[in-house]
Amino acid sequence: MKNTNYILSKTALFSIILFGFYGCTEDAENINRNYQLVWEDDFNGAAGELPDASKWVFDIGTDWGNQQLEYDTDRAENVSTDGNGNLAIVAKQENFGGQPFTSGRIKTQGLFQQTYGRFEARMKLPWGPGIWPAFWLLGANCETVTWPQCGEIDIMEYRGQQPTLAHGSVHGPGYSAGGAITKSYALQNDRYDLSFHVFAIEWGTDYIDYYVDDNLYQRITPADVPGEWVYDHDFFIFLNLAVGGSYVGFPTDDTRFPQTLLVDYVRVYKEVN
Amino acid sequence: MKNINFKNSLTALLSILLLINFGCARDIDELELATFPTDGDVYLDGFSGGLNYAAFGGSKVTAFDVDTEVKYQGTSSMKFAVPDAGDSEGAYAGGAYYTATGRDLSGYDALTFWAKASKAATIDVVGFGLDLEESRYETSISGLAVNTNWKKYYIPIPDPSKLTEERGMFYYSEGPEDGKGYTFWIDEVQFEKLGTIAHAEPAILEGQDQTIAAEAGDELPIGGTYSIFNLPTGVNQRVEVAPSYFDFTSSNTSIATVSSYGVVSVIDSGSVVINAKLAGIDAVGSLTVGSRGEAIQPLAPAPTPTQSPDSVISLFSNAYTNVTVDTWNPFWEFSTALNFDLQINGDDVKQYKQLNFVGIEFVSQQIDASEMTHFHIDLWTPDPTDLPAAFKILLVDFGADGNFDGGDDSSHELSFTSPTLKTQEWVSLDIPLSNFAGLTNRKNLAQLVLSGDIANVYIDNVYFYKSGETVVTPTGPTTAAPTPNRDASKVISIFSDAYSNQASNLNPDWGQATSVSEESIAGNNTLVYRGLNYQGLELGSSLDVSSMTHLHLDYWTANSTTLNTFLISDGPVETPYTMPVPTSGWSSIDIPLNNFSPVDLADLIQFKFEGNGDIYLDNIYFYNDEGGTGGGDKPTTAAPTPTRDAANVASVFSDAYTNLPIEDYNPNWGQATVVTEEMIGGNNTLVYTGLNYQGLQLNGSQDVSSMTNLHLDYWTKNSTALDVFLISNGPVETPYTLPVPTSGWNSIDIPLSNFSPVDLADLIQFKFEGNGDIYLDNIYFYKDGGGTGGGDAPTVGAPEPTHAAGDVIAIFSEAYDIVPIEDYNPNWGQTTVVSEQAIGGNNTLVYKGLNYQGLQLNGSQDVSGMGFLHLDFWTANSSALNVFLISHGPVETPYALSVPTSGWRSVDIPLSEFSPVDLTDLIQFKFEGNGDIYLDNIYFHK
Repeated sequence: MKNTNYILSKTALFSIILFGFYGCTEDAENINRNYQLVWEDDFNGAAGELPDASKWVFDIGTDWGNQQLEYDTDRAENVSTDGNGNLAIVAKQENFGGQPFTSGRIKTQGLFQQTYGRFEARMKLPWGPGIWPAFWLLGANCETVTWPQCGEIDIMEYRGQQPTLAHGSVHGPGYSAGGAITKSYALQNDRYDLSFHVFAIEWGTDYIDYYVDDNLYQRITPADVPGEWVYDHDFFIFLNLAVGGSYVGFPTDDTRFPQTLLVDYVRVYKEVN
Repeated sequence: MKNINFKNSLTALLSILLLINFGCARDIDELELATFPTDGDVYLDGFSGGLNYAAFGGSKVTAFDVDTEVKYQGTSSMKFAVPDAGDSEGAYAGGAYYTATGRDLSGYDALTFWAKASKAATIDVVGFGLDLEESRYETSISGLAVNTNWKKYYIPIPDPSKLTEERGMFYYSEGPEDGKGYTFWIDEVQFEKLGTIAHAEPAILEGQDQTIAAEAGDELPIGGTYSIFNLPTGVNQRVEVAPSYFDFTSSNTSIATVSSYGVVSVIDSGSVVINAKLAGIDAVGSLTVGSRGEAIQPLAPAPTPTQSPDSVISLFSNAYTNVTVDTWNPFWEFSTALNFDLQINGDDVKQYKQLNFVGIEFVSQQIDASEMTHFHIDLWTPDPTDLPAAFKILLVDFGADGNFDGGDDSSHELSFTSPTLKTQEWVSLDIPLSNFAGLTNRKNLAQLVLSGDIANVYIDNVYFYKSGETVVTPTGPTTAAPTPNRDASKVISIFSDAYSNQASNLNPDWGQATSVSEESIAGNNTLVYRGLNYQGLELGSSLDVSSMTHLHLDYWTANSTTLNTFLISDGPVETPYTMPVPTSGWSSIDIPLNNFSPVDLADLIQFKFEGNGDIYLDNIYFYNDEGGTGGGDKPTTAAPTPTRDAANVASVFSDAYTNLPIEDYNPNWGQATVVTEEMIGGNNTLVYTGLNYQGLQLNGSQDVSSMTNLHLDYWTKNSTALDVFLISNGPVETPYTLPVPTSGWNSIDIPLSNFSPVDLADLIQFKFEGNGDIYLDNIYFYKDGGGTGGGDAPTVGAPEPTHAAGDVIAIFSEAYDIVPIEDYNPNWGQTTVVSEQAIGGNNTLVYKGLNYQGLQLNGSQDVSGMGFLHLDFWTANSSALNVFLISHGPVETPYALSVPTSGWRSVDIPLSEFSPVDLTDLIQFKFEGNGDIYLDNIYFHK
């Protein structure tokens, strides 16, 4: 296991500037945290290789409660490494399983879950109306405790018709779906579909900090949620690319297919002293 | 005197950096910068430095003003007052903002501005790059939607690196909407570096892969250049992009080059593909130029008109006194046509190049053709005329007011395709003016518009005339198929009067639409397939033809464009053989049976024919080519024995007739061809071995002007080019191209009009040109007893539909349940007379005197689950017929039906042909065209 000391000195500098820029009321406390890498996938497989089965399982099917239009498959043409060090999740326009599109949705359920730490992914996002990629966490107890009681942490969501905006959210009891606690981070003079960006949270007992490229843009604490703070147990990871659905709306004639979510890596750290 | 010249831009740049870093106080005026100012401001609260304004010609020059009341931010905005229609000061608002000195805009990626309007409206065009001179990098958005709220707009710069010295900062043009003026405001106009303009999708030629025929010397500008960009708002914005932004490439610069302005220069013969990139990204669309090299033009003039001058109004002909024509090319907008005047053998002709459309105007002296019956034009093109290439003729009458528009104009366009159109032959069109059904007035004809897919065309003898005769369309062969002369013991016959035939069912029900009959043609029983889609022929029992070598067929078709013959053995195992169509007269084909592999020739059960059109078949038999070589170098059988009455024949070479006096079958004209006569199958045959060219000298001159056709039987395995010429004194000679190579003997009957302007009363020679080894027999002229006219109504009902009812949405048919129809004859102002008639016991929808005709569904129909529109139609006199599907909007798309028909014609039109009509929301049908149309079985199917 690698033992990496992740020193966030640069982050602190940018964070302070950002706090000012966004008028955030949080104290600029010391957020230099030491992290140790505990889990990662660099997606260094050959082109067309399915994701590492020891780390990821497929969700196969459609809708998932969000009226999304794609059928998520376990085919390499929807989810595979690209041979250049990335995972490619590809949304295609094709009739499959009764749906007009196919795409992919993978998760670490049963293979990896963790409470607290830093979760990050470096990604280049797809584009176009109705395109909805996400990097998110779900409470590992969701099969026994129903959603949203089990909790959901969305590290990155994005609407393809808003190529400069990424969104970070939590869903819990009394504040889920449209009532989720959420905030957006806009790129200045850049877009998420033109180059890779790092999306991360740093999660402790009483905070979840949201980052884009080392820029802290949101801190959610127990005081910010109108219901129970349910972020005190193991969560596992999702990567998926939805087409359509209640969050993003329908694809239009302007939406080009195929669309690809490229993931350079996913890394999870634990805080060490 | 200043003597510090910084020629090097890097040096200049470094100098600026130094100035900044050290705050050097040196006077910058002493430096001559190698770059232009990079100011991106155009209008924030006033004109930026050096900005000028010029209103466009014909616009209302006071339309633009500065407004200090309404503004997005700051102290003022630009206000544009679009005039009402009819404003005496100008018809629209439009102008350009430009600078005297160029600016370097290469550091920006978009022109942005904020806009709002007094009402929701669509601004015709806004853009930049108009500098009132070359405007090389014009960039614009057409149809900019504005409303009463301020909104930010973006015009991406297609390739900023090109804009190092741009003077065109902004321009706009907008006319009244629905006749009404309104006001819009624009503010904060500036070039910005956004970093959020992405995913360029450039295109040339509107994204199409186009093909054009051209000649050396042609200059072809590439248009339809645009790019789509994804804006930071997520919107895909189409931007019109000047060709100069693109980097063009030619696949072979020795054939054609492309200038940086996107103009293709054709240099030599060959095929070349022009592609383009925009800022390094491949553009969709390409231009394939097929160059003939040096220009090909007619060798002979068009046939001399024979109408009496008393009954002619001529626009252009050496045979008549011509009326005044204002212009043969007014260079209308978007027309690429170039016109030239030239002479062919002393005869004046007009030539058009790069013809997409051209208006020929006789507005100042309009033509009253109300007493005329026909429009005549002679056409000659070096271009390919294969389907679906069309040549279109539009006649426009300005009505009693004599002015364009005014509500009393009428017009009609007719479209002509192969086989009417021919390549490198004069085509004479004699079009009844009644075919121009929409041309309701003919007293004030003012325009003739030529358009279509034929880019290069020569025209002559353009005139209206009065004729007492009606045009008759031949519908079938008037002569019998050649009589077979093979030994019956070596033949297994399926259909022939010459042999005893195997038992068979000539019309098994395989669900086909083809109408099958047996007809006596010149006393010979002939199998006729009308409106072929496919057609089976079932043998009475399985047939062993494994001892045979060939299948022989005689066939005749004037309108088929595809025809395949299948043999089928048990399994079924079937193999097609493609037959050349259409034919010129009867065509005889001898197909070696190995072409049908892997069909089991010992166990043959069926024939099948697939294709289209009306097919006449005879002498379908297998034979054993005893000891012959089959596809050998020479024929093993004699040419078919002619059956025409000797009284109607003037023979040049045939054992069947007394030949005309011939001076020499092999005159020495310097040719390389070896000429012999050989006995083939007991028949004397003229043989040209190693043909380059070959003459045949008649004795003196012969008058064959009473004859109608030239008949030839010919056989060649290895020729790839063969023309036969008739030559009269002068010499005047005209070629006719014979299809080669042949499968067995080919019989051809060429109407003598094809040899115009050769003087048929004074014929002196034949000439053959081409290559290969040619066997010739039965070269004779004959007089055709007379064509047959078509009836003007069908006598049988349309074919019974065969699609399963569950797969059908029917509009008009007795075979299916009909969806709700509001009106089969809605009043859309048409002149068509609509009725329903029982024909052959079948209810049929009849459109008499069609100009156009609607059909209104009850509400809207969703036919998106269907694949095809099926129609059965019959017309003896229509020359143009389009069927439209219409969805809300209305959005409508035509599909051209092939007319006239010979009998009922069935079509199954893929619904994709009607794109962009919304198939989930179909509300109407429309038919446009002319003539009397019989329709049945109008339905959609899967």
